[in-house]
Amino acid sequence: MLRRLPYRIQVPFGLSVAVLVTALLVTGVSARISTTNARAQTLATLERAVVLLVAQAKPLLAGEDTWRMFSLLRDTAALVPGTIARHARLAVLDTRGDVFAASDPTRLATGQALLGQTWHGQPLPSAAQSTRPLRLNLGDGAFLLLEPILSDDGEVVGHVFIEVDASVFEPDWRALFTTALIGVALATLLLVPVGWLVGKRMTRPVARLISFIERIGHEPAQTLRGSVPSTADPELGRIAHAVTQLVDALEQRAMAEARALSAERLAAVGRMTAAVAHEINNPLMGLLTATQTVRLHGENASIRERTVEVLDRGLQQIRTTLAALLPQARIEDRPLEPGDLDDVMALVRASAQSQSTALIQSMEIDSALRVPSAPLRQVMLNLLLNAIKAAGPEGEVSAILKSDEQRVQFSVLNSGKRLLADRFEAALESESGMNPHGFGLWVCRELANHYRGGFELDTSNSEGTRLVFWLPNHELPDNPV
Amino acid sequence: MDRRNSMLALLAGSYLAGGKLVQAAQPGLRIGLTPVILADQVAFLSRWGRYLSSTVGCPIDFVARESYQLILDMLFSEQIDAAWICGYPFVRYESSLSLLAVPMYAGQPSYQAYLIRSRKTDGRVQGWADLRGKVLAYSDPLSNSGWLVAQAEMAKAGVKVAELKRTFFAHGHRNVAEAVAAQLADAGSIDGYVWDTMRQQGMNAVSQTEVVWQSERFGFPPLVSKRGNRHPYREALRQALFGMAQDPTGVELLTALNLSGFTPGGVHMYESIRKQARSVGASGVGV
Repeated sequence: MLRRLPYRIQVPFGLSVAVLVTALLVTGVSARISTTNARAQTLATLERAVVLLVAQAKPLLAGEDTWRMFSLLRDTAALVPGTIARHARLAVLDTRGDVFAASDPTRLATGQALLGQTWHGQPLPSAAQSTRPLRLNLGDGAFLLLEPILSDDGEVVGHVFIEVDASVFEPDWRALFTTALIGVALATLLLVPVGWLVGKRMTRPVARLISFIERIGHEPAQTLRGSVPSTADPELGRIAHAVTQLVDALEQRAMAEARALSAERLAAVGRMTAAVAHEINNPLMGLLTATQTVRLHGENASIRERTVEVLDRGLQQIRTTLAALLPQARIEDRPLEPGDLDDVMALVRASAQSQSTALIQSMEIDSALRVPSAPLRQVMLNLLLNAIKAAGPEGEVSAILKSDEQRVQFSVLNSGKRLLADRFEAALESESGMNPHGFGLWVCRELANHYRGGFELDTSNSEGTRLVFWLPNHELPDNPV
Repeated sequence: MDRRNSMLALLAGSYLAGGKLVQAAQPGLRIGLTPVILADQVAFLSRWGRYLSSTVGCPIDFVARESYQLILDMLFSEQIDAAWICGYPFVRYESSLSLLAVPMYAGQPSYQAYLIRSRKTDGRVQGWADLRGKVLAYSDPLSNSGWLVAQAEMAKAGVKVAELKRTFFAHGHRNVAEAVAAQLADAGSIDGYVWDTMRQQGMNAVSQTEVVWQSERFGFPPLVSKRGNRHPYREALRQALFGMAQDPTGVELLTALNLSGFTPGGVHMYESIRKQARSVGASGVGV
């Protein structure tokens, strides 16, 4: 329980408890000493009462003044412990040993014979024998004093009789408990708050350190530097020094993180630049081929016209690709048309012919195409160029554009080395953007996600590699994902 | 005129001459009090003294003693001018004393003597005849109710003093009540007026005792002066005492004393005490 409390509570609380326990122990020891002294003090008081009564009773005995003797005994009894509770009795006996007067006549009746009688099971000496002081410990723990009262010439004229019950010598637990309670209460009232304050003062540097440590991570390390609480305590000083070192380390780490972030940002910019360059470079090869075609066969109006259209759409694709990087410069895109596949095939044909790769295209258009042309053209171009590269010399690339009510799908099959699923996934990772060869696939996957479509590797295909890209065949969303 | 009164007259002459000396030498009255009343209340006596001083016209002081004999000695030696004593010493020294006033208790100048016992003694003492082997507390050897009545009644009951275990004087009626309450004595012979007044004042000793016998009515303890005393304010004192019942302050003081007033009285009021004293051989009152 205590260990669950904070250190700054534990220390003051512990000091307070220590004060309380000390007060209890001191009170206990005091009570023990008090009990030991009580009997000696009681006996001393009784002896003093005897001396007083012997001196004062003599003239009263001579004058047979019972009332004044009673008054004397009653007043003296007030000084003897236990009298008020009727645990002690004082009496003056006459020469016969009878009670002349007693402080408590109900216990020692006037005229009652005492000396020579059995008292509490113990025989008392006769009046004639009682010429010397007598102190008796009675069987029941009571104590009895018998003192002769002598005349000036040594004759016994009476006796002082004092009897104290055993209970008088017993510790007054109630009084002791009350005293202890008062002591503990005073200690609690006075010392415990002091102990608490001292404890709080002792733990104040710790609390300041804790408060400072709590700020670490929430405030910049630069602002924390220099505000580490100072302390004269060597142990706490070591902690403060360690905290200072921690703050320094955090500051250095923050600086390193800032540098790393800056480098990351630069790398990202580099990747983006490479991607843009890639996407622009892809149609460039086809466009250059088209310009070559115009140069060679430009006199043929039909060829020229068709090639110029290819050039126009290729440039529009580049424009659309660049516009996608500038959100503020949105450009309306047209829906895909079947002729777009022919354009793309025309753009990549030169690459295929350069390594004698056969290109086969087919279309299965069962529904109107309602997908944007720019991303599809970009995807088709990427996939075809990748496939031509993968098919290699004398290889074969087969492209199929399909559409139905649900989706528009473009798939490319190359006869090259089969692409495994893990390699395909690795190529799609954003980090693979570092590899220029993976840009095409990565861009396809990003476009599929953007237009809520899909880009997959057809794992059911046993020969070569078949990649499938599809988009939902419906009106273009206002806000693609 | 005795020598003391001559001196007072001389001092009175000085008063006519004026000056501080007159004020200092004004003849005062000193009144002795015995345990016939609860006279240990200093504040009350001071108030009563101031009242009488203003009424009488001279300083009045009270002198209280436990013993009747001491007061009588002071009276006869002219240390005091008047004394409130018991009826028994009045009849015993009647030839040397003259009545000043007789207090009225419950409208009558008389009172009774009581025999009391402790309430805790299970009624062992029912009357005077039961005192054999018992301890009896008296008030004073010169007290009617506190000694003389007891002697007479024990004689009537056929009880000899020697047959009692012990007797003692408690030096006052109040002490008798306290001695019986503490069971220092089995019974006590006490002034009925004092016991009643103690009960009225709620004193603890009375609540622990009870009356087992009441005497016939006796003349109330009187205020007396030495016969032949001619103090110039003696008569003024008498008139002041008689007038207390007609004065609001006086009534207040009388109420505190549990009295109803003072009356001139007469020696005939003490005939019953005189008769009783004559029956007791040791009373000192001749037949």
